[in-house]
Amino acid sequence: MAEAHAAPSVAPAHGGGHATLKTYIQVALVLGIITAVEVATLYVPGIPKHLLVASLLGMSVIKFVLVVGFFMHLKYDSGIMRAMFIGPLVLSILIILAIMALFGAYLLLPRPTL
Amino acid sequence: MADHVMPHAVHDPNIGTTGLDNRKVGMWIFLGSDCMFFGSLIGTYLAYKGKSLSGPTPYDVFNIPLTSYSAALLLASSLTMVIALTRLQEHHVKAAAGWLIATAAMGLHFVLNQVYEFWSFAVHEGLTLSTSLFGSSFFVLTGFHGAHVTLGVVWLSILVVLAFRGKLDPQDYTKVEIAGLYWHFVDIVWIAIFTIIYLIP
Repeated sequence: MAEAHAAPSVAPAHGGGHATLKTYIQVALVLGIITAVEVATLYVPGIPKHLLVASLLGMSVIKFVLVVGFFMHLKYDSGIMRAMFIGPLVLSILIILAIMALFGAYLLLPRPTL
Repeated sequence: MADHVMPHAVHDPNIGTTGLDNRKVGMWIFLGSDCMFFGSLIGTYLAYKGKSLSGPTPYDVFNIPLTSYSAALLLASSLTMVIALTRLQEHHVKAAAGWLIATAAMGLHFVLNQVYEFWSFAVHEGLTLSTSLFGSSFFVLTGFHGAHVTLGVVWLSILVVLAFRGKLDPQDYTKVEIAGLYWHFVDIVWIAIFTIIYLIP
């Protein structure tokens, strides 16, 4: 029985490790703090729009990477798994940029004048 | 000699020639395709942003405190999900089921918040799917995300029932891990939606 409790190897024999519980809690705390900062940023007057947008996107990317890397274990997973997710993710970002460009919508850059 | 090489590959039908679990590979492929699905919806929302000719604008209707609370709920549910996985790995099946219940409960709370938000927009603000470009793109994007969360809640609930019926044990780690991957994906999609749709002016 004790052996069973001491054997966490039930899981990731094939392409996957994981962080410790302590790491998960630390990641969750960081995620919570970043979210609070994101929302608080909205209420700070006088921030230039491009700076506000860039900082919000930056914080969002950090949260995204933390969840995917630690909670989804991609940091510890095999390269094949990473490629299967990051490849389409890059494509989806390109899709967003392409659609925005097609419709003349811009987040950071000023809209071109006709 | 060959008998000593990767006995799992011989005995476990879920392990493919890459040495990876086919179910997990399948889930990652699905999540990759879902990325492109949500990418197209987010792109469409941004393309239509500020181009509505009638109806309320995002600034008229968005309830940032409520949405922030919902975002915090999903983030917290990601933590409880990984704790459930860890507890299962440590052979504490009932404890894992408890954390799965917590995860599902927070997911359900998120969905109820979204239902309230949609109801509030429709009844108080006059914003529906057919009101404007903003209404169409907003409801389709967040509605599909809400449907994903709902499906996740159902999936987690099934796992909980299996656990309490004694049909989920540590050997089923990969089943729970795959459900977790889906759940965390729902969370990262919301991270993007929350910032791009709700926070960016």
